[in-house]
Amino acid sequence: MGRSYIVDVVVERYFSSVEASGAACTTGLLIGQSSPQRDFVVLSTKTPQRGNESSSGTLDNVDVDWVTEHAKQVSSMLPGGISVLGVFLVVPPEMSKEATNTLRKLVFVVDKYLSKGRLWYDTEEDVTERVALQICSKTRKIICKTFDVKDPKSSAKPAEWKYQSGVSSTWPVVTCSVGINLRLPVSDKSLEDTQTCIREGLQRWAKRITAGTCLFNGKFMAQETELVAGQKKNPKLSQQKLQAQLLLPPEECQPEQTCCVVSQPSASVVIRGQVSCRAYLHSNKPKAGQATEAIKRDILNTVSCRVDMLFDDLFMSQAQGRGAVEKRHSLPLRVFAPVPEAGFCVCDYMFPDESVSAVTEHFQEILDCTIPEESINTGLEVSREEPHKPAHSTGDSCQEDAPAQLHTEAPQDVPKKQRSLEYFVGLAVAGGVALLAAATSLLYLGE
Amino acid sequence: MYIILSFCKAPSDSTVIFRVRGSLEFSCWLESSNVSQSQTSVSTTFSDLRSKVRDESFVFNLCSSPVFIWPNKDCQASVGSVTASTPCGDLQKHVEVEDRDGGGRKKRKDRKTVSTVINLTSMTEVTVSDEENLSASHLSQKKKQHSVAMILPLDCVISTGADESVGIVCECLIGALCCQLSDMEKVVLQHMKGTAIPVPQPFHFMLPEPNGLVSVVYPANVSDSQLESCRKDLHKKYELPEDRPYFRRANVFQFPDQLFKDGYLRNPHEHLNHPNFEGANLYLVQGVYSYHHYMQDRMDDNGWGCAYRSLQTICSWFQQQGYVERAVPTHKEIQQALVDVGDKPAAFVGSRQWIGSIEVQAVLDQLLKVTSKIMFVSQGSELATKGRELANHFETEGTPVMIGGGVLAHTILGVAWSESSGQIRYLILDPHYTGGEDLQTITEKGWCGWKGPDFWDQQAYYNLCLPQRPKTI
Repeated sequence: MGRSYIVDVVVERYFSSVEASGAACTTGLLIGQSSPQRDFVVLSTKTPQRGNESSSGTLDNVDVDWVTEHAKQVSSMLPGGISVLGVFLVVPPEMSKEATNTLRKLVFVVDKYLSKGRLWYDTEEDVTERVALQICSKTRKIICKTFDVKDPKSSAKPAEWKYQSGVSSTWPVVTCSVGINLRLPVSDKSLEDTQTCIREGLQRWAKRITAGTCLFNGKFMAQETELVAGQKKNPKLSQQKLQAQLLLPPEECQPEQTCCVVSQPSASVVIRGQVSCRAYLHSNKPKAGQATEAIKRDILNTVSCRVDMLFDDLFMSQAQGRGAVEKRHSLPLRVFAPVPEAGFCVCDYMFPDESVSAVTEHFQEILDCTIPEESINTGLEVSREEPHKPAHSTGDSCQEDAPAQLHTEAPQDVPKKQRSLEYFVGLAVAGGVALLAAATSLLYLGE
Repeated sequence: MYIILSFCKAPSDSTVIFRVRGSLEFSCWLESSNVSQSQTSVSTTFSDLRSKVRDESFVFNLCSSPVFIWPNKDCQASVGSVTASTPCGDLQKHVEVEDRDGGGRKKRKDRKTVSTVINLTSMTEVTVSDEENLSASHLSQKKKQHSVAMILPLDCVISTGADESVGIVCECLIGALCCQLSDMEKVVLQHMKGTAIPVPQPFHFMLPEPNGLVSVVYPANVSDSQLESCRKDLHKKYELPEDRPYFRRANVFQFPDQLFKDGYLRNPHEHLNHPNFEGANLYLVQGVYSYHHYMQDRMDDNGWGCAYRSLQTICSWFQQQGYVERAVPTHKEIQQALVDVGDKPAAFVGSRQWIGSIEVQAVLDQLLKVTSKIMFVSQGSELATKGRELANHFETEGTPVMIGGGVLAHTILGVAWSESSGQIRYLILDPHYTGGEDLQTITEKGWCGWKGPDFWDQQAYYNLCLPQRPKTI
């Protein structure tokens, strides 16, 4: 019994344009939602060109690291419920046999890379089949297979690929805004140590979030309850919106612990503020339990993503030898934008000194998607910062004279943040211990 | 140690006990050498926790139900029919009751009035609106500062009428939680040494009328024996006699819906209909014991262990009233104790030899430091005349009595005795039962039941061991 993929017609059009461009051996990602019975693919994006290379047209030159890095970037732009479902490969007919091997490798490596550093774990209900789509550049024929990424010996299973219009048009959306106030002990020895400590602290916080109870539109529903009861009768129903509330249970008291835990960390990092979260559900009788998982994962993803971005920025500053960094860092704000002709939004992150046009460029580069600047919703996380970063701000960020204005020009004294794909890969490759060892304690001024 | 106010009304048929349990994270920074800074820091942290309890993000969940209530938001709830003015007794119908034993056991209608207990859990809502933007701040710590963290166990109880409104009940619970936090603060400040802060733990004790249920906070790392002076103060405050414990940790009130983790039945006699003949007065065991009988603990003592089991029941009484901390002894431990006092040879340990009341007295003395009186009855028919003595025993000491004679041993848990007519019935707990902990079988088949004077072998002689309650708190 193979899986079925219900694919939006925009994906079909996208494939046509990719094939029309004539480039042989194009890789790309397939984006959508999984449900126990079938999967829905609603967006696809080809792997961006790397630097000045032109596509070489052979399978050997498929840069696996580049594809996985792209997948990571794409993943951070997807709200809850939506994820990278697999990989596609456009090949000329003569390479069709080797293509399967390449696809298999890509599917496994992409999944492994995406699972790294996540604050949540797959459950038994999660679908572990990923799609490997092979498209013939001459005949446009599609061969659709799946691999079980949890089984390293998995062989290709045939799957069904069906086109439909408006696949995501009635996807229910769950939203909420979550407050965080964590004080995490960290070691001051190096930036890497600090990052490890913060990751551990976030993992403890993630456990509590995972154990939380979700209410939807103020009501509690059992895991197996269907969220959109009665929708079948009225197919013209507009997208259902659900406001989620997350309640955390009390932490377990250990009866054998009779005394407090004392520690003496050299420093601590306070992560505080709110994050706006969103998750989409499929329209195939989604259950309350699935909605709960989806929104919880989005909460965990958005926080870990922003912290990762902050550290990427800090590592880069350190490598570039930029001067002393302040003790308080604003994490990037999240913005959402509707995907044209679809029923869902994608998201991106902006540091307070970045402009909305950068977001548009980013969407174009990473998702190969043209999203007009005016449709980008920056209102969910309104920046309360002044455009420039003050030198030693220690606490209060609320400055009443800079309300909802978003700055469109970066100040000139701070180098413009480049968040293109190149930047991140450069970091991944160059950021070794050697670089960090050379730059000790540049960041923190002693008390 | 200071005690919180008990929010108690006189219990009636429509009394409902609300119990809210949860926890709060206590975390602060202390300079170990600076006592006043430490104390200020602790007090500030507790003050912040009290604010948390009064915040809109503090939510009650009615256990095993879809009902969530925001006590600090006018009792907004997740279920439409629950509002601030709903009678609190109505909450019971939202609770999904589990069929605990799965065997369709019926509830005994003739149980003594048990107040309904409604359990709540406290939760924290993290979905907020209008907070500050996410930021990460790095703070260096001074060398002498220590980070101190623990989870505070919250456990508050109030007793109220079923027609009281949900709004008032929530207000009382929030008040009780804040009071408990203040009591915890006092306990912590009193017992902290440098950075060693004990976890303050709440306990509920059921005191005789008119006091009812009272809550006390004790520091976790201080044992009962070190808390004697505190208990003296409590006894004075509540005008309780100073010869029996009410505030030891073992005296903690067992809520009707709480199952005992060890699996033994407690006080099966409470489920019986007591004799009601003319002029009869009841003189029963006081407090809590567990029922020990043949075949328990994977020990096959069928045919020889009855006195051992009766002794175990008696030991359980002393443990649960808080007189001793040691667990109920096993057959081997009982036998070893007798060897240790020189009463039996070493080969006795591991054997299947019977013991009698004298041995029971010896073991109680050796292992529990409890003295016992021995009553000798030359023939079973004479037991009918011992009504006054047994009645006195249960009134003064209130301990279970072991009786051995003929070839059997039993436990007497009380007598129903008429002073005028001399009629007597004995409440017997039979250790010869070999089945499982099935309350219905045990009470219906008379393994725990009222027996008449003809229960005894009229010709045999009997020895009774009457354990004496130590006069301490």
